[in-house]
Amino acid sequence: MTMVLHIILALLSLLIPVGALYLFDRSLLRTFGVAVGRMVVQLLVLCLIVWALVKYDKIWLSLLWLVLLAVVSGVLALRRINLPIVKFLLPVSAGLFVSALLIGAYLLLACLPAENGFGARWFVPVMALLVGQNMTTLIRGLSTYQSALKADELQNEFLRGNGTDHLHAVLPFVRRAMQQVFAPTAANLSVMGLYAMPLLLCGILIAGIAPINAFVVTLQLVFGCLASSVIALAVTLWLADCHLFDKYGKLQ
Amino acid sequence: MLEVKDATIAVGGQILATGLSFMARDGQLTCITGPEGSGKTTLLRTLMGFLPVSSGFVSVDGELLTVKSSQAFRKLMIYLPQQIQLLRHQLKAPEAPVCEADDYGVWNDLLPKPIQAIRPVPLSPEEIYLFAEQTLQAAKDKQMIIADEPAAQLTPELAERMLQLLRSQVVAGKTVLIASRRPMLVDDADLIINMNQNL
Repeated sequence: MTMVLHIILALLSLLIPVGALYLFDRSLLRTFGVAVGRMVVQLLVLCLIVWALVKYDKIWLSLLWLVLLAVVSGVLALRRINLPIVKFLLPVSAGLFVSALLIGAYLLLACLPAENGFGARWFVPVMALLVGQNMTTLIRGLSTYQSALKADELQNEFLRGNGTDHLHAVLPFVRRAMQQVFAPTAANLSVMGLYAMPLLLCGILIAGIAPINAFVVTLQLVFGCLASSVIALAVTLWLADCHLFDKYGKLQ
Repeated sequence: MLEVKDATIAVGGQILATGLSFMARDGQLTCITGPEGSGKTTLLRTLMGFLPVSSGFVSVDGELLTVKSSQAFRKLMIYLPQQIQLLRHQLKAPEAPVCEADDYGVWNDLLPKPIQAIRPVPLSPEEIYLFAEQTLQAAKDKQMIIADEPAAQLTPELAERMLQLLRSQVVAGKTVLIASRRPMLVDDADLIINMNQNL
């Protein structure tokens, strides 16, 4: 009952933007209402899923959820890059799943202050964070790799024509993909928290963790994101190779 | 030495040459010539194992060259492709992109836009010549040179220097196989294979 009251009180704060729109641009009121409604429904569905995962707290259920999350994220990433979903869904989803599971397990079991590392209360948010971040890095990395191979196809042929094996002939393109993954991340990390407190840190503080512990957990999660993004890109490129090149080594 | 015996060269179902037989010997400049679209580049790509022969065979020093075994043979080859001017990124790797902090980050929920790599700025004729020279010098131990239209992007003066460069490889006892329509190169070849006569 108290929760409902609090939601109503929070909704009251929406009167301010609604009032502003009513005064200055009424045509946006409908769009704003639809956006808020969609956000509430999505958040509710997401929280119901998390609620179920935490309530049952079974490792197989959490893993099943992680597989589904990796597949859905893979579809979203591929639609963004405009690559055929049928061909690339397995490499991208596998990259997301493997990287999140490896680094997530390492964080949960060795770094984070989780009493039960694979308990859903820690497993779900950590894996969701890793998959979410890896999806954004994969969009940049995979699109760079694929478009660089197309733009510089001759370089790949030149290297192979001069006796370089396939792995070494694609390394310049892997390098470019890694650059595109790391350059914006480095730029972002260098200014994080200076002009706005990271949402991740806010969430940890709201959960009741002391600021110094929140700092440590945030740091561990950020490092985990960086490490798993490299694994996600490497696994995806490795598995996508047979779809990118034909049996003669030519870009398809 | 590279030998082609009774080879049929086809690409996409279109036969470009049938019953093609020749030997590109060590210490000899062999030139494949013919009009545009006659299959010179396809033949060179086949000789490197990038494409299979439809019938007949290709061998290098008596060993059969197949698509599967070609990678080992290509270790013996130097390859200068036709559009060599597009190899700027082989000369110098592209710089890391300059990014703004809000492009992407671990705090950003927005999905980034996909990246579209752009084609490299073409090399100038001088750069092409220097690149070819460096490639040849860096692989002195390789016995076979395959160059597709090596003078196509060069000025007449640089084309002359390119011919001298290739000739120096011939003198060193290497197998030099080129595809060209440029009379200066065709006339200087020890063996001419005309793709027009092999259909």
